[in-house]
Amino acid sequence: MAGLRLESVVKAYGEITALRELDLDVHDGELLTLVGPSGSGKSTCLRVAAGLEDVTAGRVHIGARDVTRLPPAQRNVSMVFQSYALFPHLSSGENIGFGLRARGVPRAEVARLVAQAAAQAGCADLLERKPHELSGGERQRVALARALARHPDVYLLDEPLSNLDAQLRVETRAELKRLHRSVGTTMVYVTHDQLEALTLGSRVAVLHEGALQQVGAPDEIYAQPANRFVARFVGSPAMNVLPAALEDGRVRAGPFALEPRAGIDPPAQHLELGLRPEHIQLVGEDGAPARVEVVESAGNETLVHVRAGDETIVARTPPELRLDVGDTVRLSAAPRHVYLFDAETGLTLQGLER
Amino acid sequence: MRDRETRQLVLMLAPYLFGLAVLIALPGVVTFVLSLYEYDLIRSPRFLGLGNFRELVDDEIFRTSLRNSLMFMAFAVPMRLAGALALALLLHRRFRGVGAYRTSAYLPSVVPDVAYALLWLWIFNPLYGPLNLVLTELGADRPRWLTDPQHAQWAIIVMSLFLIGEGFLVALATRQSLPRELYEIAELESAKPWYVFARVTLPLMAPTLLLLLFRDTIFSFQATFVPALIVTEGGPPPYATTYLPLFVYQNAFEYLRYGYAAAATLAMFAVTAAIVYVQYRIVRRWRHAFVV
Repeated sequence: MAGLRLESVVKAYGEITALRELDLDVHDGELLTLVGPSGSGKSTCLRVAAGLEDVTAGRVHIGARDVTRLPPAQRNVSMVFQSYALFPHLSSGENIGFGLRARGVPRAEVARLVAQAAAQAGCADLLERKPHELSGGERQRVALARALARHPDVYLLDEPLSNLDAQLRVETRAELKRLHRSVGTTMVYVTHDQLEALTLGSRVAVLHEGALQQVGAPDEIYAQPANRFVARFVGSPAMNVLPAALEDGRVRAGPFALEPRAGIDPPAQHLELGLRPEHIQLVGEDGAPARVEVVESAGNETLVHVRAGDETIVARTPPELRLDVGDTVRLSAAPRHVYLFDAETGLTLQGLER
Repeated sequence: MRDRETRQLVLMLAPYLFGLAVLIALPGVVTFVLSLYEYDLIRSPRFLGLGNFRELVDDEIFRTSLRNSLMFMAFAVPMRLAGALALALLLHRRFRGVGAYRTSAYLPSVVPDVAYALLWLWIFNPLYGPLNLVLTELGADRPRWLTDPQHAQWAIIVMSLFLIGEGFLVALATRQSLPRELYEIAELESAKPWYVFARVTLPLMAPTLLLLLFRDTIFSFQATFVPALIVTEGGPPPYATTYLPLFVYQNAFEYLRYGYAAAATLAMFAVTAAIVYVQYRIVRRWRHAFVV
């Protein structure tokens, strides 16, 4: 059992820098999700941890060991790839036992560990079959069982659910969470799906352009985003961000004019205001008028795109509120739901408490 | 719709089918018919029935050349295949100058056969040939490449070992197409290089390697012709490097025994077919172990 720590890790491919001075501390036994848009460096981060890529600078620790210069074989980590990377000519059982056999574990012991891992991953009935005889979900289980079989210090999972259909993904996600609880080993899970990151991780690390934006518990990431990027990346639909200015002690942005929360002393310029769609009211006495442009009904909720002046704003409303394109609504929001960003640095202006 | 598709297919195939008929099928039929006659271009053909084949069975030179061809096949084919595979595995990684190495691995294959043979005539020269000069420097015995029967047979095999450009390219392309992640998994699972080769690379490349095996087996009967004709001239005595193609050539164009040469050609064809069939049967039995 061991945690994983990246210390000022830089990874450059010639001119391109994939990771910039990345510090990441994955606690012993936790499931940390690493999330970011494509090209943010999250897979590179995982490959650096695995030793499949050298670092340009910085250090990698697994537990108390400095593994920066160690080859993958000596790091005692397991990996699951998005493609599953199963050996097509080997049966599921042989795939799961590959690493054990390669290490010279006796046959009987391999059989025992394979059966155990397969039972944990829920593929015990598939051991005789070859990958081409398995469905996507079944392959994913076999790949997971292969990672489990060896009892490594750290599991590294690179978008393992991305090739599954939506429903199966949700089911497998819950299973994976259960599995992690029962195994109790450190897990790093890379995904581009913010919802998956929030629901799965005990902590979430948000990555953008090779730099770590924020690490924290899912609700912390959602409620207290460190900057505009995290605020907009987490949550769907994305937070509305409007250019704002300070006038007479109130923040004016598009149709909104709101008091800043206590403890925030916003600058007069280079200000942006953020409001999540679920925090915008469309009916009220004193709201600013706006015209409904698009109505997207999703059954349990309705997304309404409205136009106020030059700004298009998305609001999430209960389905009972029946609106049509062209209707006029009145926008309002509670000051406690308002986020303020420094427009130049993108950083969130922190208040007292939310 | 289906009719139109069929018509288009036939149209597109037509040039190829025409060439196949005129250049392959027709000569094949002619060879078959000819094998039943005695014909020397001057007198009119005389029907012999299976006489040519009966003579072949008793012909000491034919038996020698058949044995030579089979021995060449038995040594050259596995060595060529292993060489092509080894080069492909060595040169599939990217490193400085890999392009130059890959090119030079293929280069001998683009040298015209006759020029290639003349080049080796120089290399094998016992007095000033570079091969024996090097061997002398190393303190080894100097083989009498062109005068000792056994050494000459090895000389022909050695010559063929450098003409593996195509096998190398096919093996290289196959190796390149294997997913990198499989090797990363193997690396993470601390598999040793030899284990990875035996358990991952070889089984995954097996379909291609088997194809190369069949192709090389067929090819190996013909590959001896130019070297035997130019470098060793079928010798040294007694017929040490007279292989089947040379035997056919000599009977047809030196002794003007076209019917007899045709019969030998058919025999060569039959032997090749039989060997490939046996290989195929063996492979089919082991298929579940290799092929995905």
